[in-house]
Amino acid sequence: MGRITSSDAWLSQTPVKLMSGIGKTYVLFLHISCILVSDRGHGSRIFSTMKSERLDMTQHRRSTGLKVIGVLAVPTIAALALTGCSSSAGSTSSSGGSKEFSLSFATSNTIESPFKVLAENYMKSHSDVKITFNPQPNDSYDQTLRTQLQAGNASDVVVTSPGSGTGRSILPLAEAGFLEPLDNAAKELLPEGSASTFGSDGKVYGQATEITVAALVANETAAQAAGGFPADFSSLQQQCKDLEPSGKSLFALAGAAPPNTGLMAMSLAASRVYAEDPKWNDKRAATETTFAASDGWKSALEAVNTLKDAGCFQKGAAGGGFDAITKGLASGTSLSGFIPAPSWKQLESAGGGSKFAVRPLPAESSSKSYVFASANYAFSINAASKNKDAAKAFLDWAAEPEQTKAFAEIDGALPVTGLDKYDFEGSAYKNVGDLIKDGKYGPLPNIQWPNSAVYDALATGVQGIITGQKSPDQVLQAMDAAWGQ
Amino acid sequence: MTATMQPESEAAEAPRRGGRTPVAGQKTRPRGRGLEFGHWWWALPGIALVFAIHYVATGIGGFFAFTNWTGIGAFKITGWANFEAIFKDPTKLGALSNTLFLAFGSVLLGNIAGLLIALGLNRVLKTRYILRTLFFMPVVLSPLATAYIWKYIFDFDGPLNAFLTAIGAGDQTKPWLADPQWAIWTVLVVLVWSSTGFAMVIFMAGLAGVPAEVEEAAAIDGANLWQRFRNVTLPAIRPAVAIATTLGIVQGLRVFDPIMALTAGGPAGATETLATQVYKQAFALGNFGGGAALALVLAAIILIFAVIQQRLTRSNPED
Repeated sequence: MGRITSSDAWLSQTPVKLMSGIGKTYVLFLHISCILVSDRGHGSRIFSTMKSERLDMTQHRRSTGLKVIGVLAVPTIAALALTGCSSSAGSTSSSGGSKEFSLSFATSNTIESPFKVLAENYMKSHSDVKITFNPQPNDSYDQTLRTQLQAGNASDVVVTSPGSGTGRSILPLAEAGFLEPLDNAAKELLPEGSASTFGSDGKVYGQATEITVAALVANETAAQAAGGFPADFSSLQQQCKDLEPSGKSLFALAGAAPPNTGLMAMSLAASRVYAEDPKWNDKRAATETTFAASDGWKSALEAVNTLKDAGCFQKGAAGGGFDAITKGLASGTSLSGFIPAPSWKQLESAGGGSKFAVRPLPAESSSKSYVFASANYAFSINAASKNKDAAKAFLDWAAEPEQTKAFAEIDGALPVTGLDKYDFEGSAYKNVGDLIKDGKYGPLPNIQWPNSAVYDALATGVQGIITGQKSPDQVLQAMDAAWGQ
Repeated sequence: MTATMQPESEAAEAPRRGGRTPVAGQKTRPRGRGLEFGHWWWALPGIALVFAIHYVATGIGGFFAFTNWTGIGAFKITGWANFEAIFKDPTKLGALSNTLFLAFGSVLLGNIAGLLIALGLNRVLKTRYILRTLFFMPVVLSPLATAYIWKYIFDFDGPLNAFLTAIGAGDQTKPWLADPQWAIWTVLVVLVWSSTGFAMVIFMAGLAGVPAEVEEAAAIDGANLWQRFRNVTLPAIRPAVAIATTLGIVQGLRVFDPIMALTAGGPAGATETLATQVYKQAFALGNFGGGAALALVLAAIILIFAVIQQRLTRSNPED
């Protein structure tokens, strides 16, 4: 990103003799340094006259041909540099014995990555194993992972996501031959109904790490003070109206951070679309239905307007970033937010003394309650890895029930195995425990969508609904258009 | 910048020098005329690097504009399909008009402001050296870092709204960067702020070349301030105007990081430009072919405007 836009780098990339414009800049920069640095006033007139002559020379004496080439070359290079490949920065521990391997994962905050903690535990219990960590910032992880896989220097074990909705998604990476098929341990960890997002033709390319619930994370302390959390959608609207005069809001929304608006829209669609028809995505894939033709989706996006009009969002929500959610929830000025469930743990440990818990978004009626719970992250093995045995041994170990339980505890998520015996009552998940036990949950819808443009159309579209730029119908049509890309 | 450009300009000069004295150079070398230095082929490593890093990479990027590559795996050549999709998509056309608005808006306002400041700080003022540095500061500072500071200023809970509330204009507070009407103007303010210093320095360089005697002579002949500016100063700094506007337009058309940091193209595409779209298509949405095609379109647009602009502001030979 920096390479494209920093004017210094841009200028230094261009062959000077061709660039009439750049030649002039160079002369001018000599001048600029004089103006900014030396206090020469009008003493050295000769100097400045000389400079302006050079300026004129560059203006007159270059042939038009050269000028055109120069003008042509600058923008072409500048614009196409945008699409150039970024450099890779990974490493493979190809040397050494089979007990050594490397692990890539994304980090998004200062809290220690659960993947790293798990791997460190593995090293502690297996003293002969050495794991090299390759953490990447979350926002560049997808691109880095793809570049490294193509360059052949990706880590032996990489963290991926099921489905095909993101840059780190398993299906496109497996189709391109970059991932190693996994054996039975991974197959046994497949969450119900998710097989098609972890591979194809009976092969599995990712090992689920935990079950992430996508619903509301609520500041329970603040909710108690506000008279409890609403039970259905109409009492929710009433509570929004009651809270507004006190400067508080029921929801903290990062309106300018599209992933958050998208998650809110999907949460609204949970009870309106997927509770009635958990296989709705399959029907959409078979073009038996469309977003625009779905009453459920339409009502979900219309509910965004309902929430806005009822004053459910904090002031200035349309321009809010993720910091608005963190601030609002931690301080209790907002009661809840549409964020991945494991955040409850980070919010609670951030101090403030408030209790946090995971809640489903109140549905129109309690019989329609539905949440999203799916394995959103997986371990995969790089097909070009030279340490596959060591990597597989690690994955087998991570699939053991004690480890899946420990991993879920580290991250504040639900374990990928043993959910039926999980103690919901004593955990932050007690409000969604019944739904999960009753099977009223399904995978996050966008995991099953064919590309990330569909989710992008939803997320930016919801922002447009909040600012009044778009209607629910327009957003749904844009999602259908993106589906067919 | 000078440091990175100098070696290349020398390298590019080498062929001419080498070619000028081929025979004499060879004969005299044994006798030790030390400064007869350089042959055109000495530049070959540099030329090869420039070719491989810039032109080959650029060419490959251009090639992908005609494919459906997702950034990974296999791809098919799809001809002009990516370009058709661009011109059918209202988002891309909106991005195009935003790009032109921001480029021309920032060039116009930035250059006017830059020229005024340059004229003001050219001679008389005692504190001009400090002020020049201050006005040039935005050019030196990281655009990304300053964009985040601006984002904070325009935030709903930020200083601007706090100021408006304090002076009793609380009803004017809004989330500036997420308001469909105001977001693009807010972005324009930031772009003008950051481009003014650059224009100022270019104009200052131009003004340094305007002889004070000519202005004095015009003043003695009875020309007023405006006439002196219009008929003496402005013609003399025409090269500077040409440079400032050309660079400004090229910079304005491809501006990326301030917009990405301020609004990321939002709200709902209201500040989307071609550059942010290229990034989104190629890297965020896995549509590498589409992103490359958009980059080609952007390159063509920059080329067209740069050529037009060069022709319009070219000095007359008799100047």
